[in-house]
Amino acid sequence: MLKRDQGVFLPTRVATPGYKVELRGTSFCLVATGSWTVREAASLESGLKRLRVPIPPTPDFTGVLDISGIEQLDTAGAWLLQRIVRMWEDRGLRTSFDGATESFEILLEEVRLRSAEQRTAIARSSLLASVTQGCAKAFTSVSREAILITGFLGLLVATMMRMVVQPRRFRPVSFIHHLDHAGLRAVPIIALICLLIGAVVMQQGIVQLRAFGAETFAVNMVAILSLREVGVLLTSIMVAGRSGSAFTAEIGSMKMREEIDAMRTLGIDPMETLVVPRVLALIVVLPLLTFVGDMMCLLGGGVMAKVMLGMDTQAYLEALQGAVNMRHFMAGMMKAPFAALIIGLVGCLEGMKVSGSAESLGIHVTSAVVKAIFLVIIFDALFAMFLSLIGV
Amino acid sequence: MAGQDVASSEPAPIISLRGLAKRYGDQQIWDNLNLDIYRGEIVGIVGGSGVGKSVLLRVITGLVAPDTGTVCVFGRDVRELNREEKIDMESRWGVLFQDGALFSSLSVLQNIQVPMREHLDLPRPIMNDLAYLKLAMVGLPPDAAHKFPSELSGGMRKRAGLARALSLDPEIVFLDEPTAGLDPIGASAFDQLIRKLQQTLGLTVYMVTHDLDTIFTVCDRVAVLADKKIVRTGTPADLRARPMHPWIEEYFCGARARAALG
Repeated sequence: MLKRDQGVFLPTRVATPGYKVELRGTSFCLVATGSWTVREAASLESGLKRLRVPIPPTPDFTGVLDISGIEQLDTAGAWLLQRIVRMWEDRGLRTSFDGATESFEILLEEVRLRSAEQRTAIARSSLLASVTQGCAKAFTSVSREAILITGFLGLLVATMMRMVVQPRRFRPVSFIHHLDHAGLRAVPIIALICLLIGAVVMQQGIVQLRAFGAETFAVNMVAILSLREVGVLLTSIMVAGRSGSAFTAEIGSMKMREEIDAMRTLGIDPMETLVVPRVLALIVVLPLLTFVGDMMCLLGGGVMAKVMLGMDTQAYLEALQGAVNMRHFMAGMMKAPFAALIIGLVGCLEGMKVSGSAESLGIHVTSAVVKAIFLVIIFDALFAMFLSLIGV
Repeated sequence: MAGQDVASSEPAPIISLRGLAKRYGDQQIWDNLNLDIYRGEIVGIVGGSGVGKSVLLRVITGLVAPDTGTVCVFGRDVRELNREEKIDMESRWGVLFQDGALFSSLSVLQNIQVPMREHLDLPRPIMNDLAYLKLAMVGLPPDAAHKFPSELSGGMRKRAGLARALSLDPEIVFLDEPTAGLDPIGASAFDQLIRKLQQTLGLTVYMVTHDLDTIFTVCDRVAVLADKKIVRTGTPADLRARPMHPWIEEYFCGARARAALG
């Protein structure tokens, strides 16, 4: 903000801005006073809107903006003054300033120059166009995604094949690190949620089946459900949230800091060092975690059966034996490595997609979890259909 | 009125730091730091890495509290203001952070309008016009208005950040390493921009910098932060002619300075 008297600044005296138009000889004169600043711009603007542009009766009339009464002026004020000048000149009135200090003049001139620049409008498209465009974008992104993940799978398999031929390329330290992080450290949380879900399903089953006097069949329901679906799904979802997102975050932050590019320039294959150990570790660990989950589901169900039905351990185990066999157990278990492959692939691929910014890292971590869980559930549904078709 | 406000013939400083001390853990950053900055000057704060140049900027703008000492801006102690006074004071200064610190979810135009929206009740057409004007004043093309910060280059982000800092026509502008990360041509253009805006808007500029070119082309005065305090202030030429401190000697008369200044 510029002040007429540069010495004054403590405290800032806010003089209410004002203006009036008068006729001085053959010139229309707008006398502006007070502080023309951005704080006063709203009230000035609403008043100036009502100000009628004088119509010169003869062409030799001129316009003068007498600003000798303005104490404070900033860009907003200068812009308002220049707008008046523009409006008056459009009516054929040659307009000039009077009483401007040197610094006021510099600002007024700068504002006049800068406000003349052309603007570009935002390109707005119609609703129909944007809806179709959005749909097209969604479909193409899905297909592009499918191509990307298939390509990534191919790359992973090729890298693994190379490792079979040249076993020294395998990174055991990294592999074991991820076994620990994705596996061992996930045991408590997976055990706990599976125990609780097992108990809850058993309790609900007993309540519903009691109406038919068939509450003991709740054991069959819990056993089959846990082994075939709940154990592996809960474990996969938990691992997708825990480890899939961690893979994306780790690889993504390396990508952000150009570490991946640095690896490539050093002749190190990031697929070998980063992706294969992670995906392999997950493939080994997820079936083991699923087993833990299965057992904890059954345990939770057993506890609930004891509480609600008074069933002792012996009776519960016998009921389990009658309800399930190895086929049910395997039907659940064999899904685990595929779920692990999906989670690992999506996690690493999303990490590789991270670009320079922190926002992009956040977006990809979120999308890694969402995509992994979505794909695991789709895969599970397809697998269930397949198994029921072949009668297992 | 000027005579009543200012007792001595010397003008009152617009920023006045007295006896500032700050410690982080075991590390004493400054001890008894004093500095005065006057209206309408461009002051460069220089010093080695880790002497707390950026922390000092944060202390003046109230983002970090000093352990002891007073910070007076516009003659008021910034730590004794109530909420309204604080907001009022904040709208009288603008800060340009190192990478612009633009809000990433808003377009450049919306970024510039944020302070107007928060503190003033302006009709939308005026806000648009003023934002475009600010955009032009910092030398950005009009088609940058609807871009998002992630679509801009580093230099453009700094210019947009400056436009946001100037949104309410502040009296003081704080610049944190304005030319860091710019190529020499971009840095030189930014120097010119700062000078130009200072003259046009009558700004007082507080600038943290490392850039010798910036110091010699833009700064009216340089304050050297070393040995936990401001060891010297003076015009760049004066500091170069009579360093009187080993760090200043090294900085203004070392190989890089000779290469840069001939």
